[in-house]
Amino acid sequence: MPMNDNTIIRVENLHKWFGLLHVLRGISFSVQSKDVLVIIGRSGSGKSTLLRCLNFLEDPSSGNITIAGHTVTTAPGIRPDQQKILALRLSTGMVFQEFNLFPHMTALDNVIEGLITVKRMKKDDAIPIGERYLRKVGLFDKRDVHPIRLSGGQKQRVAIARALAMEPKVMLFDEPTSALDPELIGEVLDVMKQLAQEGMTMLIVTHEMGFACDVADRMIYVDEGEIVEEGCPEDIFHNPKDERTHIFLNPLLKVQHIE
Amino acid sequence: MAIQRRIKRIHAIEVTLVWLALIAILTVALMFLNFSPAYVAEHWQFVVTGVWTTIALCLISIAIATILALLGALGRMSANPIANGISGFYISIIRGTPLLIQIYLIYLGLPQIGSQFRALGYDQLADLFTLTAFQSGVLALSLNYGAYMTEIFRAGLQSISYGQREAAIALGMNRWQTMRRVILPQGVRIIIPDIGNQFIAMQKDTAQVSVMGIWELTFRANRMARQDSKFMEMLLLAALTYWILTIVTSWMQSRLERRMAHAYER
Repeated sequence: MPMNDNTIIRVENLHKWFGLLHVLRGISFSVQSKDVLVIIGRSGSGKSTLLRCLNFLEDPSSGNITIAGHTVTTAPGIRPDQQKILALRLSTGMVFQEFNLFPHMTALDNVIEGLITVKRMKKDDAIPIGERYLRKVGLFDKRDVHPIRLSGGQKQRVAIARALAMEPKVMLFDEPTSALDPELIGEVLDVMKQLAQEGMTMLIVTHEMGFACDVADRMIYVDEGEIVEEGCPEDIFHNPKDERTHIFLNPLLKVQHIE
Repeated sequence: MAIQRRIKRIHAIEVTLVWLALIAILTVALMFLNFSPAYVAEHWQFVVTGVWTTIALCLISIAIATILALLGALGRMSANPIANGISGFYISIIRGTPLLIQIYLIYLGLPQIGSQFRALGYDQLADLFTLTAFQSGVLALSLNYGAYMTEIFRAGLQSISYGQREAAIALGMNRWQTMRRVILPQGVRIIIPDIGNQFIAMQKDTAQVSVMGIWELTFRANRMARQDSKFMEMLLLAALTYWILTIVTSWMQSRLERRMAHAYER
């Protein structure tokens, strides 16, 4: 397949086995630069595993992953090239459901940790960058606060700033609001919307259908490790081709009143 | 609140009175048993001076044991069969044999190897195997406690949630960077109280190195006691010194813990 100029992510025939469990069964898709792709599916469908394979938090069993020009090929019995995996990780920023902020560091230290340890930046050079991204997520005033004194929403915004500070080409969000109290979800989604508007390429696994509909350029619906539906939000929500998508979305549409 | 605090205070006073009563009863009993306070008053300094040797032994040994335990824990958690094998072997051997035997092996056994090297003409190597009593004591205590503390370190490091590791990996950190910047700083906080407990336990185990003639508390007490057949006086004095040392160290440990808890408290 020739690489379109604008294609920033290409996943080809991705398989993942957990022991005897076939979690991803030949996933292929691509994402254009500056696009927002939302991945939906019921729990256990493999959507989180898919996201985690992209930066090798999980090693795929086989398949090709290309992000920002770096391709890693995996096949059974072959150990993938660690340097290339590092290139993938540096091209992607990840935001976790459970935030995973470093509790022994202040908000600012969390944000600049990658710059100092991985990019070998001097602390004095890293601090302005860290402050810029804290300001971006609206938490500059919390720069010297440890995560334990932040609300869930604030923690997740610091986590987003931490990922952004590494200046990745792509942001991966793994159910970023699922661990939050309902009243704190909005502030995180607002930050994400702003990022999308600024042209960040984003892959989002979420259950927030209203938000997904709002922000997504394209959506894929994953079921039992396969992509069963792919398209723009309107098509997925209103003209699903596959019965499974319809069954999954129908109750959600009724609850959330999506037009 | 005020009433609760008063009840607590009264309880503390009651407990203190019981302790004082117990000490008084024991003292009176000792007087009837031909215990000579005058002898203690005359010779206490000779024994108590040994506390500095005891403390020095402990401080050096706990420092080395901490390093050994850290290496051991990293080895235990490693996927590398050599690192894993070495640390497993070390822990098994040390935990499966008495400290006293380890002390004898190091102090009396190693020079035997040393003399063999000397016979072969490797003098410097021979010197390495011939340790002073103090060096032998430090080595034995370090090796022994290092093995026991390995499991403590391993448990502490493994208690850090896997999400922490994943966040570090996602940022692009390698395994060593993840350990040094993310896992260790959090693990150490969890481990420090346990290091304190080991330190307190070790203070009493230093008594065992007296068999090599290190002039620490037990050796001095024993030596003076033998000379004048005043075992009760001198050994009780040594025991009392260990006890006070333990109380002081425990107090310091609880203060340290409280201060560490403040570092990222609400």
